[in-house]
Amino acid sequence: MSRITGTLRKAVFPILAVITALLFGAVVIILTDFKNLALIGTDPAAGIGGAVGGVINGYGAMLTGAFGDPARIGTALRTMTPADIATAIRPITETLVATTPLIFVGLAVAISFRAGMFNIGGDGQVMMGGMGATLAAFVLQNQVPGFVILIVAIIVGALFGAFWGFIAGFLKARTGAHEVITTIMLNYIAAQVVFFALRSPTLRQPGSTAPVSKNMQSFVDVPLIINLPAIRLDYSFIVALIMAAVVSWLLFKTTKGFELRASGFNMTAARYAGMSAGGSMMLAMALSGGLAGMAGSFLAVGTVGQLSLDLAGGIGFNAIALALLAGLRPGGVVLAALLFGALTNGGKLMGIQSGVPFDLLFFIMALVIMFVAAPGLIRTIWRIKVSKPAPELALTQQPVASE
Amino acid sequence: MTVAVATVITGEGLAARRALRDARIRGVIFAAFGVLAFYLASSSLNTAAKFSFWLDEQGGQSLPITTTVGLLWIVAGVAAGVVGLLQFLRGAAFRWRPWLILVVAPWIVALLAGLLAGKPANLSGTLSGSLELAVPLTLGAMAGILSERSGMFNIALEGKMLVGACVASVVSSLVMLATGNGLVSTLVGIMVAMAASGLLGLLLAWLGIRHKVDQIIAGTVINIGAVGITNFLFLRFLSRNTQYNQPPSVEAMRLPLLSEIPVLGPILFSNRPYVYVVYFVVIALTYMLFRTRWGLRLRASGEKPQAAGTVGINVIAIRYRSLLLAGLICGLAGSYLSMASGGRFGMEIAAGKGYIALAAVIFGAWHPVGAFAAALVFGFAGTTQTLLSVLGVDVPPQLLNSVPYLVTIVVVAGVVGRVRGPAAAGQPYEQG
Amino acid sequence: MRLELRDITKRFPGVLANDKISISADRGKVLGLLGENGAGKTTLMNILSGLYKPDSGQIFIDGEERVFGDPAAAINAGVGMVHQHFMLVPVFDVVEAVALGSEPVSGPLGAFNRGAARKRILELSAQYKLEVNPDARIESLPVGVRQRVEILKALYRHSDILVLDEPSAVLTPYETEELFTIIRSLKETGTTIIFITHKLNEVLEVADDIVVLRRGRIAGQADPKTATRQELANLMVGRDVELIVPKGPAKPGNVVLAVKDLHVRDDRLEMAVKGIDLDVRAGEIVAIAGVQGNGQTELVEAITGLRTIDSGEMTIGGEHVEKASPREVSDLGVAHIPEDRGRDGLIAYMSIAENYILDTYHRAPYSKRGIFDLKAVKAGAEKGVKDFDIRTPSIETYAASLSGGNQQKVVVAREFSVPVQLVIAAQPTRGLDVGSIEYIHRRIIEQRDAGAAILIVSTELDEVLAVGDRIAVMFDGKIVGVLEGDDATYENLGLLMGGADSGAAPSTPPGTGVAA
Repeated sequence: MSRITGTLRKAVFPILAVITALLFGAVVIILTDFKNLALIGTDPAAGIGGAVGGVINGYGAMLTGAFGDPARIGTALRTMTPADIATAIRPITETLVATTPLIFVGLAVAISFRAGMFNIGGDGQVMMGGMGATLAAFVLQNQVPGFVILIVAIIVGALFGAFWGFIAGFLKARTGAHEVITTIMLNYIAAQVVFFALRSPTLRQPGSTAPVSKNMQSFVDVPLIINLPAIRLDYSFIVALIMAAVVSWLLFKTTKGFELRASGFNMTAARYAGMSAGGSMMLAMALSGGLAGMAGSFLAVGTVGQLSLDLAGGIGFNAIALALLAGLRPGGVVLAALLFGALTNGGKLMGIQSGVPFDLLFFIMALVIMFVAAPGLIRTIWRIKVSKPAPELALTQQPVASE
Repeated sequence: MTVAVATVITGEGLAARRALRDARIRGVIFAAFGVLAFYLASSSLNTAAKFSFWLDEQGGQSLPITTTVGLLWIVAGVAAGVVGLLQFLRGAAFRWRPWLILVVAPWIVALLAGLLAGKPANLSGTLSGSLELAVPLTLGAMAGILSERSGMFNIALEGKMLVGACVASVVSSLVMLATGNGLVSTLVGIMVAMAASGLLGLLLAWLGIRHKVDQIIAGTVINIGAVGITNFLFLRFLSRNTQYNQPPSVEAMRLPLLSEIPVLGPILFSNRPYVYVVYFVVIALTYMLFRTRWGLRLRASGEKPQAAGTVGINVIAIRYRSLLLAGLICGLAGSYLSMASGGRFGMEIAAGKGYIALAAVIFGAWHPVGAFAAALVFGFAGTTQTLLSVLGVDVPPQLLNSVPYLVTIVVVAGVVGRVRGPAAAGQPYEQG
Repeated sequence: MRLELRDITKRFPGVLANDKISISADRGKVLGLLGENGAGKTTLMNILSGLYKPDSGQIFIDGEERVFGDPAAAINAGVGMVHQHFMLVPVFDVVEAVALGSEPVSGPLGAFNRGAARKRILELSAQYKLEVNPDARIESLPVGVRQRVEILKALYRHSDILVLDEPSAVLTPYETEELFTIIRSLKETGTTIIFITHKLNEVLEVADDIVVLRRGRIAGQADPKTATRQELANLMVGRDVELIVPKGPAKPGNVVLAVKDLHVRDDRLEMAVKGIDLDVRAGEIVAIAGVQGNGQTELVEAITGLRTIDSGEMTIGGEHVEKASPREVSDLGVAHIPEDRGRDGLIAYMSIAENYILDTYHRAPYSKRGIFDLKAVKAGAEKGVKDFDIRTPSIETYAASLSGGNQQKVVVAREFSVPVQLVIAAQPTRGLDVGSIEYIHRRIIEQRDAGAAILIVSTELDEVLAVGDRIAVMFDGKIVGVLEGDDATYENLGLLMGGADSGAAPSTPPGTGVAA
C-alpha cells in the first residue's frame, strides 16, 4: 500500500508538469483566437465563450484523435463489422503508432543523459537510420525474401544511426566539443545528406517534385499486429517495448550500464575507479544513435513506407521532454511515450479539425521540459509540496560553493 | 647537487615547448596549403580568371581584373608560405589568428576562380552579400559573447532570433497597415522584436540563476518553445492572413561619401543599414568589453564570479543585464531575417543561424572582432554558393549547404586551435 | 580601528554555524582565531565581510554599529578580506585584479583608468614592501605572490581591518615567515588583523590575543605569551587529545612499491615530479610531507595509473606499472584513497551500495561476465557499512547525504574491502573532525600491521608525525629529505618543506614575479 502511494506521489509531479503545460497551451490558443477576442469589446460573453470554446474544440479534437470517438465505438459495438471496428479502434492504434518511435528516441535520449550527454540530435539520427534502412532495402530489393530485407534494413538503419550518434560521442570524448552543438549541426547535415541521397534516380520517386523516395511497401513491410483495414499498428511497437526492457537491463543489471551511469554523474570519480569515461561517452552515444536509428528504420520501411525529409519531424525534441518527464527510467519512458503519442496523434486531428496547429505541441513540450527542470515553478503555481525529481536528472547544477 | 640541472630542464620552458610543438604543426599546415596551391597552379596556368568589381556603385562602371587561375594559386601559395614561414620563425609567440585571413582569403579566391573555370564574375555583389549574410551571424555572436563573457551559456540564440523574426514581421506589418509609414513601422517592428527577445533573455537568466536550471537545458527550452510558438502562429494565423506578414522591407542605403570610395564603397557602404549597425556594435562592444569598468566587471563575473562578488560587485545583476542585452541584440538579428533578407517571416527561418553564431563566438576566441571575421567567412560560403549556381557551376547544393555546419563542428572540436573560453561560463553562482 | 563583534549568530539548515560569538580586536593588534574545520571560523568571517547576513548580533567599528548588507558595505567600512582560496581573476593582470570593484574611471563611458590604478598599486607596494609586478598575469604568479596581491587588494581599498583566512595553507614555511613579516609591518601602520587558522604554532607566533572556536561557539580565550600548544589543542577539540596516536613499531618487510627516477608532468605540462626515488616496504607507513603543489598530487596520480609518466621506473610487488591503467594498478591489490573524496572518490548521487563497489564492481562476487549479482552487492555493502560503522539509514542512501566523516569511511571501507598489498592515501583526513581522523588513522595502521605497505601524502604536519614510520619531504618535485618517524619534529620538517636541504635556504623564494 505504502509502495503504491509512494509511486503515486512520484507521479504527481510529472502529471502536474504536463497539466500545467497544457493549460499554458490553452492560454496561447485563447490569446491567438483573434476572431473571438475581437468580440470581447462588443459582446464579451460570446467572445470569451467562443475563445474558451476554441480550446475545448482543439483539446477535444486532440482527445478524440488520440482515443477514439464514442459514437463510432458505439456503432462498432452494434454492427461488429471489421470496417466499423477498425474505424472505432483506429485512433487508439494510431496513438500506439505514434508512441512507437517516441519510445525508441525517448530511450535514446535517456541513455545518453544517463551517461552525462545531452543528445539533442535525435532527429538527425532518425533520418540517418531511415536512410540506412532505405538504402539497404533498395540494394536487396528482388534479391532476397521480404523478411530478410526487413531484418537487414533495420540493422543497417540502427548502425547508421549509431554511427551518427557516435560521431558526437567521439568528438566529445576526444576533443571536448560540446555535444549539444555537434548533434544539432549533425541534424542539419543529416537532412542535407538525405536530401542528397534522394537526388539519386534509384531512390527518388519518379515524377515527384518533393524529395521523397519510392514507396517500399511492395517489397518490404513490418507485419501488422491487428489485421484490419486501415490499421497500421505493426510489430515495431513490440520491438520498442522489448528495447525498453533491454535498456533497463543494460543500465541497471550490467557492469557496462554501471560504468555508463557512473561516468555520467562524475567523470573524474569514474576514471579514478578505473573506468574509461571517454569509452562510456562513445558507447552511450552510439547506443543512443542506434535506438534513434532503429526508430527511423521502422518509420521508413514500415509505418511511412518511404524516405522523406520530414521523416523525423522534430521527434528528437519531443523525446527530450518525455525522457526528462520519465525521470530517465526506461519504464517511465514507455508511459511518457504513450502520453506523448496520444498528444501527437491527437494533435494531428486537432490541427485538421479545429484550426489549432499541431506545432503547438512543441511549445507545450518546451514548457514540460521547463517545469521538470525547474520544479520550483510547479511548486509555486500549485502551492504544493512535491518531492524533488531524482537527482539523476542532473538538470540543476551543483552550485559552486560560495566559500 | 642535482638541483641546478633540474632547474634548467624545468621552469617555464615546458609549457612553452608544447606551444612550440603546436606552432610547428600549424606551420606545417600553412606550408602544406602553400605547396598544394603551387601544385594546383601548375595545371591551371592558362585558365583565365575574370573577376570584376563595381567602381562607384552597384551596376555602374566596373573595374575588370583579368588574370589566370594559376597566378591566383601562386599568390595563394606564396601567402600561405609566408605565413607558414613567419610561424616557423616566431614560433609560439606568433599570433597566428589574425594572419589566418591572409591564408584563407587568397585560397578561397583561387578556389573560386578554379570552379568558375574562365566564366567572368563580378565579386562586389558577392562580397557585400557576404556582409549581409554575416549580419545575423555577427549580431548573434555578439549576443553570445556578451552572455558567455558574463558567465552564462547561451544556446538560446537560435530561439531568440526566431521569435525576434516573427515579432518584427507581424508588428511592423500591423503598424504599416495602421499608419502606412514604412520607416515608423520598421523601427517599431524592430524595437518590439528586440523587446520580445530581451524578455526571452531574461527568462533564460531567470531559469538559470533563480531556478538553477542547467543553462544548456534552459536554452533548449527556449529553442524548442520558440519553434513551437512561431510555427503555431504562422500556421494558425499568418499563413491565411498574409497581410499581417508583409513587413516593409529594409532596403540598401548608400552612405554619403563613404559609398563613393572606389571599389570599397559599393562593397562596404552600400548595404542595408543593418550592416552599419553591425560595424557599430562590433566596435562598441570591443571598446566596452576591454576598455571600460563595465567590461572589466563583466569579464570578471564570467571568469571568476567569486572574485567579483567578494569585492562588492553584483554578479547576478550583471548576468541578468548581459542576457537582457544579448536578447535585445538577438531580436535585432531576428528582425533582419524577416524584414531584410527574407522579406517576411517563414517557419524556422533562423535555420541554425543561432548555432552557427555560437561557432563564430568560439572561432573568434570570444572577441567581437574575431567573431565578426568568422561570421564573414560563413557569410562568404553562402554567397559563393549563390554565385556558383547563378553562373551554372555544378556543385551539389547540399554539399555547399552543409559547409557552415561542418565548419561549426570542426571549430567547436578545436581542430583549428583550441582557445579558452570564460572559465565560469555555465556555472551557477550563488550570492551570499 | 577597533573591531568588535557582539553575539553573532548564524544558522544554516541543520547547523548552528555561529552561536552568540563575541570577539574584539584593537587597533594595530592581531587577533588569532583558532578552530578546527567546521568550527565556524569561515562563517564568522563571511559575516564580517558582508557575504552572509547574521541572523542576530551586531558589528561595531570604533564603537559605531555597522550593518553589512553586502560585500561593498564591508569594504566601505574598511574591512578587507584575504580569502583562503584567492579571489583573483586568473586571466587578469595585477592592476586589473586589484582594481576590480574600485576602478578609477574617466570619460562618459566609464573607461577604466589603468594608469591611475597602476600608479597607486606601485605606491602601495613600495610603502608596504609588497613587491609585485603590476603587469604580470595572475595565473603566472606563484601562490606567495598571489597572496601579496590579495593583501594589496585590501590595502587598495583603504582597509584598516584585515582578515586573513587560513593564509598559510598554501605557503611554504619560508613564505609563511615572509607573511608574518608583512603582518608585523602592517600592525605598525595601525592595521587591525584577524588571523584565522587551525595551526597552533602560527597563532602562538603572530597573535596578540587568541580566541578558540569550537562547533560554532567560543571555547575559550588565551594569551599567546603564556598558552601552550597542548592547552590550545584541548580547547579546540573540547577534550584531552593525544597529539600522537599510539601505534606499535613498524616491522618492515619486502619492498612493495619501488619508484626510481620518476619524472611526471602536470596539467600544464610543466615537470611536477622531478626525479623521485622512493621505496615503500610491506608493514611500514611512509608519509610524504610537503606544502601543497610540490608535486605530490602528480606523484600519486602517476603511481595509481591516472597520469602518464615522463620517464622513470615504478614497480608494485615486483610488477612494472609504468604504463599500467588505473584498473590494472587497482587489480594488483592497490587501495587508493583520493585527495578530493567529493570529486574523485565518490559519486554523490549514487547509493552507498553503488559507491561501495565503485572500483570492484567488475570482479566476483559482485558481477560475472558483465552482469551484476545484486544480492552479492547488497551483502557486500551491508558488511562494509557494519564493519566501518558508517552511520546511514540504509545502503540505498545517496552518498551526498552523508557527513564528511562517513563519506570518507565509505571510501576507506571500499578500498579495504579486498586484500591489498599497497595503500595510497592522499590527504586521508582533510576536513574531518578529530573523531573521524583518529578512526581513519587506526584503520590505516591496522592495514600496516596486517602487512600492507602504506604511502600517505599529507600537508598536515600533525598527521605526518602521527602516523609516519618514515617521513619523506617533497619540495619542488623532489624528495629533499627522509627522516625516521622518531627523529622528525615540526622544526626539521618545516625546514625541509621550505626546501632547506636542497642547497641552503633560498634567499628569495623561487619566481617571485618581481619586475626588474
